[in-house]
Amino acid sequence: MDRRGFLKTAGVLSAGAACAYGLPLLTACASATAEPEGPPGQRKWGMVIDLGRCRPDCTACMDACRRENNVAFFGDTRWDVHLIRKVRVRRKYPHPSAEKPMLLLCNQCDRPPCVQACPVKATFQREDGIVIVDQHRCIGCRYCMIACPYDARQFNFKENTEWPNKDRPRSSHGVPQSCTFCVHRLDRGQQPACVEACKKAGANALAVGNLNDPASEVSRLIADHPAQGLREDLGTRPKVFYIGL
Amino acid sequence: MEATFERIDGRSARFWLLLGALVALILPGVISTYVMYERGLYLSGMTNRIPWGLQIVLAVFYIGASAGSLVISSLYGIFGKKEYKPFARIAVYLALLFLVAALLSILTDLGRLDNLSSSFSHFNFLSMLSINPFLYNMYILICIVYLWAMLREKERLVRIMALVAVLWAIAVHSGTGAIFGFVPRELYQSPLLPPSFIAAALSSGTALMILVILGLFRVTGRPLDGQLIVRLGRLLAVFVVVVACLLFIENAYRVYLAGSREAGVFVLFGGFQSVIFWGGMALLGTLVPAVILFHAKTAGSIPWIVVASALVVFGVLCERYLIVIPGQAHPADLLPNMEITSSIWQEGVATYSASLPEVLQAIGVVALVGFLFVLGLWLFKLLPVEARIYDEAASAEPRVTVN
Repeated sequence: MDRRGFLKTAGVLSAGAACAYGLPLLTACASATAEPEGPPGQRKWGMVIDLGRCRPDCTACMDACRRENNVAFFGDTRWDVHLIRKVRVRRKYPHPSAEKPMLLLCNQCDRPPCVQACPVKATFQREDGIVIVDQHRCIGCRYCMIACPYDARQFNFKENTEWPNKDRPRSSHGVPQSCTFCVHRLDRGQQPACVEACKKAGANALAVGNLNDPASEVSRLIADHPAQGLREDLGTRPKVFYIGL
Repeated sequence: MEATFERIDGRSARFWLLLGALVALILPGVISTYVMYERGLYLSGMTNRIPWGLQIVLAVFYIGASAGSLVISSLYGIFGKKEYKPFARIAVYLALLFLVAALLSILTDLGRLDNLSSSFSHFNFLSMLSINPFLYNMYILICIVYLWAMLREKERLVRIMALVAVLWAIAVHSGTGAIFGFVPRELYQSPLLPPSFIAAALSSGTALMILVILGLFRVTGRPLDGQLIVRLGRLLAVFVVVVACLLFIENAYRVYLAGSREAGVFVLFGGFQSVIFWGGMALLGTLVPAVILFHAKTAGSIPWIVVASALVVFGVLCERYLIVIPGQAHPADLLPNMEITSSIWQEGVATYSASLPEVLQAIGVVALVGFLFVLGLWLFKLLPVEARIYDEAASAEPRVTVN
């Protein structure tokens, strides 16, 4: 075989290897974009936040979440984990508006970049649309945090010593966490801890329900009000909708 | 004349002293890694806002640094430039070690190293962080086969492996760019990152190759034709210009468009990263070496080429920092046209500085690679007896005729 022959063979070989590797990637991409809507009865959980009802100085949702999910809190912004966090925002242009409260949490995207990013499929999406981390599979690479355009993923940098809710596990250090809509409660037919706490506090600003059911509270709220998700332009299809943003 | 290779004899006190010193530098890194693995990554300088720090900056740098082999392999294995054969073994061995360094940097940075087996059992074809370790591991395998073929003087296999290695290296560098480029973050998301990673890899790889070759030949007292280095310097000059072009386009695009202007200005005039950008990358890492490598007087001088190469390596290291850190430090634009005035968390611009354990880890990885490199020189016939330009008329290459 001459030099040209070698180059040819080597070229074909490496092109073949590239195809063998690339093909599953392409098909996986294709299946990710052609999303089946699922059977009509299938649930797809979503949340509606009515910011007009959210009280500026109330922290009931954050407190309830921390108690329910054993979230690490050290009083140090570098390592504290907030599955839901309350901030104050104001409009910048054309004139600074008055401050108003705003809640930030995992948007349970229908096209979640974190699921794409996870190298070990520890972050995955359930059929009902909820995105969760399997902390026993996670290697702690933190690529999901890099990939999330909402800064919703947070990492357990330090071992959490508090364990208020003994019915639920505590995260070890070395794995990330984000809001799961209290999936363990939804599966039992209960509302997420933050929603329950918000109702109990009398504000009733939060609602979680089935987006596939046009009669559900969340579907009606979205239909009756100008509700919007965060950065819908990113194409991630967030399933947390805000009224009065 | 064919190039001949030999081992270093490894009987000098200097050799054992060097190995001992390197082990002494590896140990603190191992201990830091263990302590951080046991107690948590809060011992690093990383936070929930900057979850990727020093190890990732260096991992990306090492991947690029491995491209010296890509250059030598193309010159010798594909373009048939026989005068580069003396460097081929060192280049491939070094590429292999840089890949090991990159993988080690990523591994030491993991939060749950004990779950590592899941990366073999649950491969995610959509994750750039699944695809890339696969590319790196395969590249290590390719380098091993390539090196074996060279050590056994299997010319046919060497030719094939040179081509396979070059093609695979291009995938490795594009893939590394995609880790950042394919992520929906203002300062990451860009289709320009994969090609720009290839360019930066070529420039830092060539510069490191020049430094390593000159250092090795100097320390072991071998004859080396300076013209070979001058030619590599000319190649380096081209790579430096290509990198500068790509960086200019990327930053100009960002600042030109209203939507990304704020983020672009943050990099260029927003704080510490701007000092790194202008002082480190633009001036010391690009302008000064470009002047040295293009100026008629300095382009042919070995000491000047050494200065230029060291500056290029430093410049690419700055560029790696500028890719990884500011993209996280700049806050995500969650609420366009709104500002967060108060929060329980760290909103707005975040800062990062590496902690001591992180620095020790990084030193440990470098020392381990150095250790393996020296060990390799002792175990395998990697070092050429000499390197010079053979008589070009007597070259085995057939003459190319037109018409």
